[in-house]
Parts: sequence; structure tokens; C-alpha cells
Amino acid sequence: MGLFDAFIEWLGLRNREANVLVVGLDNSGKTSLLNFLRPLEVQTNNIVPTVGFSVEHFSCHGLSFTAFDMSGQSRYRTLWANYYRTTNAIIFIIDSSDRTRIFVAREELQQLLSHPDVSKRNIPILFFANKMDTRDALSDIGVSSALSLEDITNKSWYICSSNALTGEGVVTGIEWLSSAIKTSHEQGKK
Amino acid sequence: MLSSFRKQDKKDEESSTSGNPYKNLEKASVLQESRTFNETPVNARKCIQILTKIIYMINQGEQLGQTEATETFFAMTKLFQSKDMMLRRMIYLSIKEMSTVANDVIIVTSSLTRDMTGKEDSHRGPAIRALCKITDPSMMQSVERYMKQAIVDKLPSVASAALTSSVHLMRQGPEVVKRWVNEVQEAVNNDNIMVQYHALGLLYQIRRSDKHAIRKLIIKFSKAGLRSPYAYCFLIRIAANLINEEGEGTDSPMYDFIDSCLRHKNEMVIYEAASTIVSLKCVTPKELSSAVNVLQLFISSPKPVLRYAAVRTLNKVAIQYPAAVTACNVDLETLITDSNRSIATLAITTLLKTGNEAGVDRLMKQISSFLSEISDQFKTVVVDAIKSLCQKFPRKHTVLMTFLANMLREEGGYEYKKAIVNTIISIVEENPEAKEAGLAHLCEFIEDCEHTSLATRILHLLGREGPRTTTPAKYIRYIYNRVILENAPVRAAAVSALAKFGAASEELLPNILVLLHRTTLDQDDEVRDRATFYYQLLKHSDKALNSAYILNSMNVSLSALERLLHRYTMEPTTKPFDVRSVPIETVHVEQPKTDINIGVGLPRGGTESKTNREDTYGEQLAAIPEFAHLGPIFKSSLPVDLTESEVEYVVRCIKHVFSHYIVFQFDINNTLNDQLLERVSVQMDGSAEGFEVVHYTPCQVIKCNDTGSTYTLVKLPDDSSAVTGSLACTMKYTVKDCDPATGEPDDEEGYADEFVLEDVEVTVSDHVQKVLKTNWSASWEEIGAENELEDTYTLSIATLEECVKKIISYMGMQACERSDKVPDGKASHALYLAGVYRGGHDVLVRAKMALGGTTADVGAQAITMQLTIRSTDESAVQVIASAVE
Repeated sequence: MGLFDAFIEWLGLRNREANVLVVGLDNSGKTSLLNFLRPLEVQTNNIVPTVGFSVEHFSCHGLSFTAFDMSGQSRYRTLWANYYRTTNAIIFIIDSSDRTRIFVAREELQQLLSHPDVSKRNIPILFFANKMDTRDALSDIGVSSALSLEDITNKSWYICSSNALTGEGVVTGIEWLSSAIKTSHEQGKK
Repeated sequence: MLSSFRKQDKKDEESSTSGNPYKNLEKASVLQESRTFNETPVNARKCIQILTKIIYMINQGEQLGQTEATETFFAMTKLFQSKDMMLRRMIYLSIKEMSTVANDVIIVTSSLTRDMTGKEDSHRGPAIRALCKITDPSMMQSVERYMKQAIVDKLPSVASAALTSSVHLMRQGPEVVKRWVNEVQEAVNNDNIMVQYHALGLLYQIRRSDKHAIRKLIIKFSKAGLRSPYAYCFLIRIAANLINEEGEGTDSPMYDFIDSCLRHKNEMVIYEAASTIVSLKCVTPKELSSAVNVLQLFISSPKPVLRYAAVRTLNKVAIQYPAAVTACNVDLETLITDSNRSIATLAITTLLKTGNEAGVDRLMKQISSFLSEISDQFKTVVVDAIKSLCQKFPRKHTVLMTFLANMLREEGGYEYKKAIVNTIISIVEENPEAKEAGLAHLCEFIEDCEHTSLATRILHLLGREGPRTTTPAKYIRYIYNRVILENAPVRAAAVSALAKFGAASEELLPNILVLLHRTTLDQDDEVRDRATFYYQLLKHSDKALNSAYILNSMNVSLSALERLLHRYTMEPTTKPFDVRSVPIETVHVEQPKTDINIGVGLPRGGTESKTNREDTYGEQLAAIPEFAHLGPIFKSSLPVDLTESEVEYVVRCIKHVFSHYIVFQFDINNTLNDQLLERVSVQMDGSAEGFEVVHYTPCQVIKCNDTGSTYTLVKLPDDSSAVTGSLACTMKYTVKDCDPATGEPDDEEGYADEFVLEDVEVTVSDHVQKVLKTNWSASWEEIGAENELEDTYTLSIATLEECVKKIISYMGMQACERSDKVPDGKASHALYLAGVYRGGHDVLVRAKMALGGTTADVGAQAITMQLTIRSTDESAVQVIASAVE
């Protein structure tokens, strides 16, 4: 099978696959965001709190994504770490309207970044400052400073505001993520 | 390409060396392999294989550690990204297997709920089952919505999976499942027969505690007409359970329902109804005949299954109501030659039970023609039939005994041989005429017996019964052969048996002494010890010694003796160990087996094992510091109800008698679901009779629908001859109203209340423990006439049987020498009783009674009784005598 596979690869016909871990506090919009990325006919209006995790598939720009949508409730956050090792990228979603809990999000982010499976690897992290449509939402810059993203030096990261319900900003973020994964993949090859 | 070829080669090699590819799995390497799960893209085929290995390993009893299980489990969760159907189903299986060992298994909850609501129908049922396996009480709320939907799903497989899983969830959180009752009710109306059956099962579980609701449920569905025969069978079982539990008669609507099922169009339902009716407690010959008629029709059915079921049930019925089955005799005769040997055996044994004495010989001949063709299990059925025949036709014992002896000589397993030996032993004990022949057969059997336990039993029996036969000498040879030829346990039993002959017979004593003396050089410690012990004892030829140490064995509870001796060795003391402080072993009362359990009815809760009952009480009481100084329990009574069974608080009382005190244990069941009881105690008053309450141990809290125990310590009256009486009981407690849903009390305060209970009686039998003296007359001589009391009474009781029964129950003593059985047509009888009085004093009673005598009422039958009581303690005699008045 090797020969044929290599041929396809060379032609660039095959979708490359990537595992993405979607994390963030509860009620930040992880499941909604992934729901938006699903094909139109299987989208649902009924989003309930995730218990544990669920798996989503979507593709974008020649990349086929397998997203692990983790539960954000505090009692399940410790379970995220089980999936760090095998992931190619992380999507961290922040509820930009929740000014009190943004510090909790910061705490969780620090823990994520200091985990050995994450800190040593150069995996791209995409931040969504979600719920941009709400009235007192922080801007992406505001969120960035609240999370002190500028301290992240050894990883490529990107932040954009989004609205998971209408899809505003989501595609921009995912496009960045695909190119970042491709880059890191090529770097890995070299 | 090359690699795949190589793989195949390897596979061939493996399959040729061992049939089972999973035979030599190593845990470490399999877990190592499970890292493959982390790879992307997922290799479904390989992962399925690894999961199979893991499941195989777990089912072989391999224990996974918590960390390794959790690690594997989380690696496995990544396989959810694959859409492979087979792999997904393997994942469900693995989740179920690992749900108990791995941590944080709830991680897959969302993935499973998605599958159970998803488009792939074949995933939905298994996903539900896996989900319910990982759901703990705290998670019930979050799956509730999905379960409700699944129960009413259009797809039968989904609905059935949800319903059966809910039955399991009932154990976790009954309150939550109870909220689904509307959905379940909808599912009962489902067209699919399995869904209907499962829904009914769950509905019953939900309503289980409410008898009234169950009653309504049965009536409703018996009218509505269910499609599912399974559901009908289930309804029949519920109804039967209800009738038996409530003690209803055949006039109840529940019975009408079961009866109507006899005319159902489905055979399964008809059979279920018939076999249920015959096993009901309340059934009378009239109702029985309708059920037997149905079974009779089945007998002539062309389907072997129906024939088998019917004849098996009839066989059981014949034990209790032989007359009812007689009607089927003609049909049963045709089954004797049935090509299915199981059916034939059951038919013949049924006929044996129902037939008359003349037919026995013919049937026995018939059965012996194919005895070698049937399995041990059915041979045991034959043996049981012979046992009941012997009771019915004692005169036939020669034919039957020869038949049994022949069976005993043939090949057979332990269970089969045990059944035969048991039968012969029971014949020997019941029928004095058959005794010598039976013993002779058994002697022959132990000459070549490979089962140690059977040989020791028979030797024990020979030791007991042999000395009383006309020629005891002839048994000695058989017994001594065992001493020479057998293994150590049998030799030891043989030595004990020999000693009994020596103790019982003066003539044989010198010979026995010689034999025992020879055995003192045996190589086994136990055998040597026994021989030396008995030799020294017998040399004295002292009747009292013989009686105490050879003819009657020690009657203490062995488990308690072990425990007390262990405790004794733990604490250094110079005081000698007192055997009398050991609780006495309760005599195992053999109930005549009247219940015919044909495998119908719903599973009942395990019955409390009687043997360890007192030990467990002992441990419970020892845990309470106030009772520590009381010493060991002398006797614990059976629970007595102090309330009606339908009132708010159901109270049962157990009397624990100590040497100078009685502890009353009150088990209080709070049946109200909106009240919490605190500081519950039972106040007792028995001052009129000299009982003095010393201490109350209240129960701090009894929650809703829960049971708690409170204890009251009472000192026995100082006058040691007046220790009976009744004590008034009042339950005192603080009530707190609480929320039925949560069980949390509404307010802090609560109010005091009391509840009057029925009086507790302390009777003579509470102070006496039953003891079986195998040689009563030897004990009678041993105690002597020092504290003897003799009196004559006239009792207005019509029959001797009744008189015997009453005396035994009043005195609470054990009848010895089979004197509790009054032979028919006799005008006088002697009853021999033995017991141990509180404090460890032996008590023996001889009651000679005769019909006749005069009472105050003219024309009434009366019995004159001469009562003689002997004991080592004077007050014991007084107390026992008072039982008659």
C-alpha cells in the first residue's frame, strides 16, 4: 500500500488529518463553535453541557480535523490532560463577556501551558474570544492582555473575536490554524 | 505485500500450535499494545484485536490496577473518532468491562449520549447499556432526559435496552427512575412483545413497595390484554407472589386472574399459570384439579418440551397432593415408554407416588430396566420417590431396600450415593422393622466406599443404632475393618463408634477394650488420641462418665467455642476456661419439606441462615459497651412482632437472655416517608413481676423507610424460681417532619411522641435451650434424683399428639429418642425431653401421659400426666414445673 499512498500524497489529493483539542471554561461555547463547523444538515439547535468529551469531524483547507470537544465543567477539567499528548493543536475558547471568570480561564491556561506534554512541544494554540456580540464583551486585545498571552514565547498562537452562533470570526481563526498546523508539520519533517 | 504475507505465515503458525490465540496473553504486553489507540489515523482492525485481548483477559480473572486501567481506558476513548462499526461496538463492550476498575469513566458520557440519540440504529442500544453502566447516582440527573426519550423510542431494540438498563439503575437511584413512570407506562403499550415485557418488569420494580399499586396494575393489565406472553407470565408471577405474601385465599381477584390464564391461547402462559397454581400455599384440591387438567392435556402433547414440563410439575404436585394427580395415571402410564428417558423417569416416579401398594413392584421392575441409561440427576429423583414410598408403604420396605442396595452397588457420583445413603438412614430411623436390614446394607456399603464423608456418617449411625439391635456383636467386625483399612478420618469415626458399643454393652466391653488398646498405636494423632481417651474412660466402667463423654456428645456451638477459646488464649489469666460460658448449639429443627418450589415466583431475599444467627447477635451486642459485662448470650429468641404489619412503625422484639439479665432488642422499621425519628427508645415496665429496667440504649436516628435498633437491659427478678411474666412496652421518640424526596428534616426542633406496643412475654422457654441427647436414659441416670420433682396433672387436651406438642413448646425443650412421635392407636405415651437451663444446668423431663381422667367439664377428653423433672440446679426444676401450670 505504501507506493500508492505516496503517490496520492505527492499529488496532494489526500486530506491531511489533524487532531485538535478544544478546551475552555464551561459555558464558553466550545460545543456551539464545533456545531457551527459541522455540515449544515447535521447541525443542531439544541446544545447541552458536555459531560466528559465528544468527538467532531470537520474539514477546512485540505485539512481534515478531528476535534475532541472537552467538557469545561470544573470537575472534568482535570481530564483534559489525558488528551494533550496526542493532539496536533489546541483551541482555547474564552467567554469574553464573563469578566469575573476570565481569571479562572487564565489559571487554567497556565496549568495547560505548564503541563509537560504541552510545554515541550511547539503546538499551535488558537484563542477565540467568543460571544463578541454581547454588549459588555471584552475586545480580543482586552482578552489577550487579561490572559497575558504575550508571555507565550515558544508557541505560535493567534487570537480572534468570534460569535459561535453566527459563525462570525470562526473561519478566520480556523484558516490560521490550518496554515499553522501545516507549517509545524513541515518543520517536524525537516 | 511482503509484510502481509509474513503476517499470514505467523498466523498459521500460531493457530497450528494452539487452538486458542488468546491463550498465553501477558497483561503487560497487551497494555503496551494498547498504546496503538493513540495513533492517528485509527487502525480499526488492529484496535479491535487489542480490545478483544483486553476483554478476554479481564474475563479470565486478570486484575487490572487502577492506574493502568485508567490509562488504557483513556487511550481507548480516543477511538471514538473512528467511524468503524465493529470497533465502536467493541468500545461499548470494553467500557462496560472496565467501568468498575478505571477512574473517571464518566468521560465518555457525552460520546455515548450522542450515539444513543444518533442515526446509527445498531449503535443505540449498546450505547444505552454502556451509559447506564458508567452512570453513578450523581450523574443520574444528566442522563435522565436521554433515558426518558429512549424508553419511548420507536425502535424496539432501543426501548428494550433503555428499559432493562433502567432496572439496573434502580439500584443506583430509585428516586430518579421512579420519575420516568409515565414513559414506562407508554412503553407497556408498545406493540413489540419484548418491549412490553421489559416495560412491565420495570414498572413492577418502580411500584414494588406499594402493594396496592401492584394490585391495581395486575387488574388493569389483565383486562387490557397484553400481547406479550412473557409479560403475562410475569404478571402471573407477581400475582402469585402477592397471594403468598398477603396470605390471601383463592377468592381474591389475583387468583381469578391466574385462573383465567389457564384458558389463554399461548402454551407458555397456560403452563405458567398451572405451575403457579399448584405451588400456591392457599390452593385447595378443587383449584388444583383445574390446573392438573391442563397439565394432563400437555402430557399427550407431541412437543417433548411440554410433556417434560408437565410431567415434572405433576411429579412435584404428587409429593403433596397425590390424590389430585391420580386422574392423570392413565396418561402417565403411556409416558413410561417415552423415548426421552427424563420424561419416562419423571412419569414413573410420579406414578410411584400416586399409585397403590400393589403397583409398586411392577413399576420398580420397569424403572430398573433403564436405570443404567439415565443420568445421576434423574437417578436422584428416583431415590427421592423411593424415600416417599417408604414413608407411605412401610410394609414394602424389603422390596425397596433391596432396590436401594442394588443402586448403591452400581457406579455413581457422590451426590447420588449421598441421596441413597440419606434415604436408607431415614428409613432406618423411621421404621424399626427395617432397621436391621438397612444397617446390614450400609455395613456392606462401607466395605467399599470411596467417599469419606459418607463412611463417617454411616459409622456414626452404626455407633448410635448398633448397640440397641439384637446382636450388636456382628457390627463390630465391619467397624473394626475400617480401623484397619481406611484413611485417618474414617478410622477416627470408627474408633468413636466402637467406644459407643463398649459403653452400651457390658458383654462386649472386654473385646472392645482389646480393640481400642490395639488402636492406641495408630500412626494418626487424632485416631490415637481418641482410642486412648476412650480406652481410659471405658476402663472405669462408670455409667455417669460413659453417658457424659461417650454416649452423649458435647452440645456447645462449635463456632462460639472456637471464638471464646481464641479470646481466652489472648488474655493471660489463671482462671480455668469455663465450658458453661459457651453458648449452646441450637438444635437444628428439621422442617418437613412441604413447600414445592417448582421454580416459579419471583426471587426472594436471602433467608437468614439460622446457624450463625446467634453469633451475629453476639457480635452486635458486644459492640455496645453497656452490655460488655453481661457475658455470653445464653439464648436469642426468634423475632416477635409487637405491632400490626400495616402501622406507621413496625416493631419486632428479640429477647437475648444472659445469665442474670435479658436484653430486649427492638428492631423498628419507620414506614413513613415524611417523618424522621430521633432518640428512639422503648420504655418497659415489669415491676409487678420483679423485673427491673437497668439501662436504655436509644437509637439516635431512624430515617424514612429505614430500620434501626434500640436495646433495653432488664435485670431478672431476684427470686430465681419466678422468672416469667409480661412487660408493658412504650416506644418514646422525637419526631421531625421531613421532605419525602430528600429525606432532610424540615425543621430543627421536632416534637416528642410515644407509641404503645404490645406486651412482651418472658416465658419458660426463653430460659431453656434445646439440646439433643442421643442417649437420653444414660443422661437421666447421670443426673440422678437429687433435685427431682414429680407431680401428676390432669390436662383437658383431646389427643396425645397435641399434648406432646404443647408441652414441648411451653418448655422449649428437645424431645429425645424420637419420643415426640406418638404411635397411632395407643392410649399412653412417654415423652423424654432434654434441655439446658440458663446458667448451663442440664434439665431432663420425663412425661408419662395416658388418655382418660376426669376434668371439670363433663364429657371432655382429658389426659393424665405424670411429670418428672431432674436437673443439676434446684431453681431450674421449679421454673420448668411452672411451665405446665
